[in-house]
Amino acid sequence: MMPNSVYTRDRCVTGIHGLDEILRGGIPYGSTVLAAGTCGSGKTTLAMEFLVRGALAGEACAHFTATEPSVKLLENIRQYSFFDMNMVDTGLINVFDVDVLYSWLGLDKATFDLDDVHALIKAIVDIVNTIGVTRLVIDSVTTLCYKIKSEQLIRDFLFTLGKKLATLGCTTVLISEITSATENAHWSSFGVEEAIADGIIVMGDVERMGHLLRFLQVVKMRGTSHSRAKHSIELTQLGVMLTPMLKWGAVSDQTTRWGA
Amino acid sequence: MFELDALIAEQLTEVSLNSAVQVRCGNSNSFMVTASTMLPLIQSFGMGGVYISASRGAVEIIQAFESIGVDVSNIQFLDLVSSGILGGTDVPYPNVHFVDSPIMLESVLLRTLYILRTSTFERNFVLVDSINALSIYNDDRMLAEYLHTFINTFRQREVLSVLLNVPDQTPPLVLANLDLYCTSLIDRGQVVIQ
Repeated sequence: MMPNSVYTRDRCVTGIHGLDEILRGGIPYGSTVLAAGTCGSGKTTLAMEFLVRGALAGEACAHFTATEPSVKLLENIRQYSFFDMNMVDTGLINVFDVDVLYSWLGLDKATFDLDDVHALIKAIVDIVNTIGVTRLVIDSVTTLCYKIKSEQLIRDFLFTLGKKLATLGCTTVLISEITSATENAHWSSFGVEEAIADGIIVMGDVERMGHLLRFLQVVKMRGTSHSRAKHSIELTQLGVMLTPMLKWGAVSDQTTRWGA
Repeated sequence: MFELDALIAEQLTEVSLNSAVQVRCGNSNSFMVTASTMLPLIQSFGMGGVYISASRGAVEIIQAFESIGVDVSNIQFLDLVSSGILGGTDVPYPNVHFVDSPIMLESVLLRTLYILRTSTFERNFVLVDSINALSIYNDDRMLAEYLHTFINTFRQREVLSVLLNVPDQTPPLVLANLDLYCTSLIDRGQVVIQ
């Protein structure tokens, strides 16, 4: 006998052209998603659009930036027509410099121990709780974890953070910097982020006759069926746009006959 | 005086917005056929559109239209040629956009969709000039696959696809797929000698 209805989890509709279709409706609410990508692959733009689309729907969003100062981040994002500085002024989008956060917490040190990690988690969770953040981006988790020397501590940090944010109903994108996005590569810098995340979105480049084409691939997303195909992406003024990558052109030149 | 092919306009009245029209032309009549196709779309049907230029730079095409008194300022040009020439993108026309190379087929599709999203016209066309030019740079299988994606993408969005082609300069696999996916044919091409 067929069940009357199939249970589906509520979704956080990203609003990003094509991504919600790939995810069959969006990211399951409260998920922690690792957006792992090589430099210039569009991770920050994707994450920022995720926040802006949320803000446009009236959601409170937060962005923790560890890779570039918030002023520079906002300056770079202003070129996109979907972004409006009013979202920052009205408190819908909240950008935090991680360096400033470290200073507040007295964490200006080379390495973090267990107490420091707990202090950092508490600070992030307090901010999320106070503002009522439902969409969060940490850019990047790689930079954040550099100060945590033990793999076990990194695992604890990410697991605890993800669990606490999920309890608060916050959907989180953790940006991870990787050096290669080929099939043999790890999707995280420390090898533990990918195991803890509910979802993994890989971003990188395919080289075709000397030109780099950006791609995005959803490798894993718990709680939803989804496409696992490579999608070509363009960063346009209207935001990120996706289309399925041509099957005959989805692998970089060196491994394909026509590009050899 | 430049003479247009009036029969092309007549044939175009029979196609719907979700059609894909293959327009075959030869080397010597390609601009006449292109102009005879574009003009009714712009002037008679009041359509906006995207002209994808893979055979020549957009500026050269715009100036060719201007020389016969056709205003194409409402048409957006996606130039796949000029980025390959340093300085080629410094153009005086605001309706010209660029993609780095004709091999970046997915970028061409996405840029076209982007331009269409900003279009103020109710009805639009996408004209590819030309399939044989794209076949210079792209593998046959990839181009055949691309045609499938391209045509279906615009059919779904009710955007008329017009695909210019010089048949005797197009690989058989690509030609066969073009014949398969296109819903109409306007044939002003040369005789194909097998």
